[in-house]
Amino acid sequence: MWAKLALKLFSREFKRGELTVISAAIALAVLTVLTLSMVTDRIGQSIEEKSSAFIAADRVLASNHALPLEFLEKANQDNLRTAKITYFDTMLFAGEEMQLGSVKAVSNTYPLKGELKVKTSLTDQPEVTTDIPSRGEVWLSESVFYALNIKVGDKVELGAATFTASHVVAEEPDAPFNVFSSSQRILINEADIAVTEVIQPGSRVFYRQLYAGDKDNLDTFYAWLKPQMKENQRWYGVKDRQSPISNSLNRAESYLLLAGLLGIILAAVAIAVSAKRYCERQYDPVAMMKTLGGSRSMIRKIYLLHLSLVCSMSVIVGLLIGYGLQAVATNYLAQTMGTALPSASAKPWIIAISTGVICAVMFSIKPLLDLFDIPPLRVLRRNLGDRLLVSKVHLTMSALTVFLLMWLFSNNIKISAILFLSTAFLIAVLFGLSKVIFGGGRKLGLSPGNSWSLAIASIQKRANVNAVQLISFALAIKLLLFLIVLKNDMISDWQSQLPENAPNSFLVNITEQELEPITSFLAQNDMPTSDFYPVVRGRVNAVNGELVAREVSQEDNEKKDEEARSGIGRELNLTWRKDLPNQNELIDGTWFSEDSVAEASVEESMLERLDVQIGDTLTFLIGAQSFDAKITSVRKVNWTTLKPNFFIILSPDVLSSFPATYISSVNVKAEKKREFNELMRQYPTVNVIDVESFIKQIRSTIEQVSLAIGFVLAIVVACGALVLISQVQASLGERMQEIVILRTLGAKGRLIKNATLYEFLLLGVTAGLVAAIVSDIALLIVQKQMFDLAGKFHPHIWVIGPAVGGLFVACLGYLMIARTMRKNTQGLLRSLA
Amino acid sequence: MSALSQLNIIQVKGLSKTVTTVEGDLTILSDISFNVKSGDSVAVVGTSGSGKSTLLSLLAGLDQSTGGSIHLDGAALHELDEEARAALRAEKVGFVFQSFMLVQSLTALENVMLPAELAGSKDAKQQALELLEKVGLSHRVGHYPSQLSGGEQQRVAIARAFIGTPKILFADEPSANLDSKNGKLIESLLFELNKEHGTTLILVTHDEQLAQKCQQILHIEAGQLVTVKESEGVQANVG
Repeated sequence: MWAKLALKLFSREFKRGELTVISAAIALAVLTVLTLSMVTDRIGQSIEEKSSAFIAADRVLASNHALPLEFLEKANQDNLRTAKITYFDTMLFAGEEMQLGSVKAVSNTYPLKGELKVKTSLTDQPEVTTDIPSRGEVWLSESVFYALNIKVGDKVELGAATFTASHVVAEEPDAPFNVFSSSQRILINEADIAVTEVIQPGSRVFYRQLYAGDKDNLDTFYAWLKPQMKENQRWYGVKDRQSPISNSLNRAESYLLLAGLLGIILAAVAIAVSAKRYCERQYDPVAMMKTLGGSRSMIRKIYLLHLSLVCSMSVIVGLLIGYGLQAVATNYLAQTMGTALPSASAKPWIIAISTGVICAVMFSIKPLLDLFDIPPLRVLRRNLGDRLLVSKVHLTMSALTVFLLMWLFSNNIKISAILFLSTAFLIAVLFGLSKVIFGGGRKLGLSPGNSWSLAIASIQKRANVNAVQLISFALAIKLLLFLIVLKNDMISDWQSQLPENAPNSFLVNITEQELEPITSFLAQNDMPTSDFYPVVRGRVNAVNGELVAREVSQEDNEKKDEEARSGIGRELNLTWRKDLPNQNELIDGTWFSEDSVAEASVEESMLERLDVQIGDTLTFLIGAQSFDAKITSVRKVNWTTLKPNFFIILSPDVLSSFPATYISSVNVKAEKKREFNELMRQYPTVNVIDVESFIKQIRSTIEQVSLAIGFVLAIVVACGALVLISQVQASLGERMQEIVILRTLGAKGRLIKNATLYEFLLLGVTAGLVAAIVSDIALLIVQKQMFDLAGKFHPHIWVIGPAVGGLFVACLGYLMIARTMRKNTQGLLRSLA
Repeated sequence: MSALSQLNIIQVKGLSKTVTTVEGDLTILSDISFNVKSGDSVAVVGTSGSGKSTLLSLLAGLDQSTGGSIHLDGAALHELDEEARAALRAEKVGFVFQSFMLVQSLTALENVMLPAELAGSKDAKQQALELLEKVGLSHRVGHYPSQLSGGEQQRVAIARAFIGTPKILFADEPSANLDSKNGKLIESLLFELNKEHGTTLILVTHDEQLAQKCQQILHIEAGQLVTVKESEGVQANVG
């Protein structure tokens, strides 16, 4: 019997629109989470898929020792695709010409991800190839052809073997970004390594095993591999590398995560507001039913059935709309990105449904419990039960629910905790502030004939309600400002790393004698360069007199000295200079002075790796000579700039006597390429590393990521707008009562409408201003802590925040009231009754 | 149970109600005692804040007394918990309120059927239709409260009050929100149905003329029963 009554009440409540707001809010939460998760999931998969090209695989196992072949066999058993790469440097000869080159010997399956592009002559357009060099062939980068003064088809000597230079390597998917470890590319078949006889005991050789396949299979394989990995072996994916791409991807992921979390907070606020409003509107019917003999258990059943129905319907509607929205969005993005997006996993569906159910239950349960507690006496004493409106239990439960949802969505308790606690702090500050704002103006004289006075009186009268509204408005505006500004800062930071005239080539191995003619030529031909840094290769041999462990090539067949202090394990490129380089920031100590003697400045990660501090003495070994230098400063280096960077910089006095070569980066425009190549041909020992294709790849990834971020932001903005709408709507009932009284007393429609407009304008401006201030502070912290961006204030949002907040909230309030005002006084009275 | 108590459908003895406020305890009703016989009509009058509505809420089991006893048709109301009092109301009590208190999402017919449905009755519709016809609203059965005038809404409330033929009907200022014509109509309907169904009517009112129509008048001032208009149906123990 109760079910029939419950269904009847439900259908009527639904038709009357009483359940519309709460349904819309739940559906909104579901569709927001589904759309965001799905778009993020699909774009993320696509971007990661594309980014995997940067390492030519999903995962790489790297070592300077030969890697066991059983790893590859096991990976194949685990349904992974595999490939091998061996790197070593050697000289390449063509007649009288010679060139130091970086050999990359690859197996047949290379590359597992991305595309290798080659040209069949120096003047052809690059074409994608799925082949690798046949035995007896080498594929060389264009600059090697120029350096050796050869053409496609000519013979070159590499070690003990002769090869035919059959193709020009135009683009390698995994082109290295470390200018020191790369020189002119020489691509050969791995089967030819032996015939070159280049690899001898003591040779510096680097080995890579490439793996690609399903994430689950990769995880399974890694679980097997990890216990067997040696200290000299490193397992990494594209995101683990220190490069502009990995930084961009990590930042984009953090941003999408943040946007999703903030979207959830906004949807949760909308549900909390509408659930509370719905329950409040049920106080009278419940009191009446209790008076007429309805038992508590029957009322509980009726409303729990209502909750279940609202929840189910809204979740389904949310899923349908969300799916449609993400389909439209991903379709658009796929077209713009020129690539098909992979299907979404089941995760977004699970998260969206869980979010809907958790939101519906957790945000409704306390108002519902309050509803069940409504005393029947309310039929006689109409204000009974109103004291239940603000409940600490409800607030605590709502807060815990938001935290739970954030955790569920992000799967990252740290980020969830930071965001949750900062938002809680913001709310507390806003609540205190609103008390001051709304309590402080009571002395103002109020004239009922003036819209402004009426608006101020209205704000003061509803101090508590307005405090809640102010918090909601400010929270929504703050989150939106926060995301918009962060997006702009992030994208402009990316763009600033790669300005139009960003260096596209590195010049390495310039001798002292070549320095002057090369710099003059580049300057005369409008080819801007970074500074020229002297480079001397050397090792850190001891710290405070204590020898550090050495890492040796496998052919030495020596064991690493386990007892020794941890070292760097390889030669470092050391430089010296008087001034701190531009892209470096001094974070501790003092920079060299004119009188500095034997001082060293160390990059922060190197400081950690060597386990040293300011004041420690490093002993360097260059060739057979050694010298000491005292650490006097620590630097933070931006490795993502396309400029030479160094782990250790020494004061000029210690290194200037050593023979050095120079390094710089240069921007060569397309039309100047020919002159540049001609110049370089005159200096065959100078290595030119072309990073043009690398820059293109970065730009393309950044464009895709920016597009995805823009879309996600649009969804969160829509979410924020709906929070504002639901909040304005929630206050409409009380306003109606006032309007009726004012209309009955003969107040003009214009007076009432203007008063409402001004009231919302004041609320919106205040909320916008507070939101802008708090956003800016939050941005400062988050940019530094989460995004590794330079934190800065944004004065423009201090104006935009209040302006947009005031305008939006005022228009919204005005439109809603204007619709109400179209009814005559009798109609208003009736709808109020 | 004695023969006398069987005749008395309401027995009130030493009833008091005290509430705790920030300023200390506040006595709203003090030592009220009276009996009401089945089928009688009783008016409760007094100035605003005298305790009339509190008395009504205690008699109807909407609130709990802090002292004394109330027996409603033999049931010791003061000993029952909220659920038992709700069950008792469902079985024996009807209500009419000043502000109608109709459920806005239900039609006139559904509002009238509501108490019967809450009590688990399956054939409430016919009875509800008959009652609506009696109050002159057979043409408005499918209308929602917002589509009815104040007088019509109160007539629906009266029809709702009589469904399930309650033994006692509590009415709180039933005509206060209505114009005089509708007010009179409501009053006559109440008395007519009271007689027809043999229902005991307890009416809280400010209206002296309306009070005079009742068989007994209980006058309450400052929480105390000060005067009783005696009639053969009431045996009051004043003060």
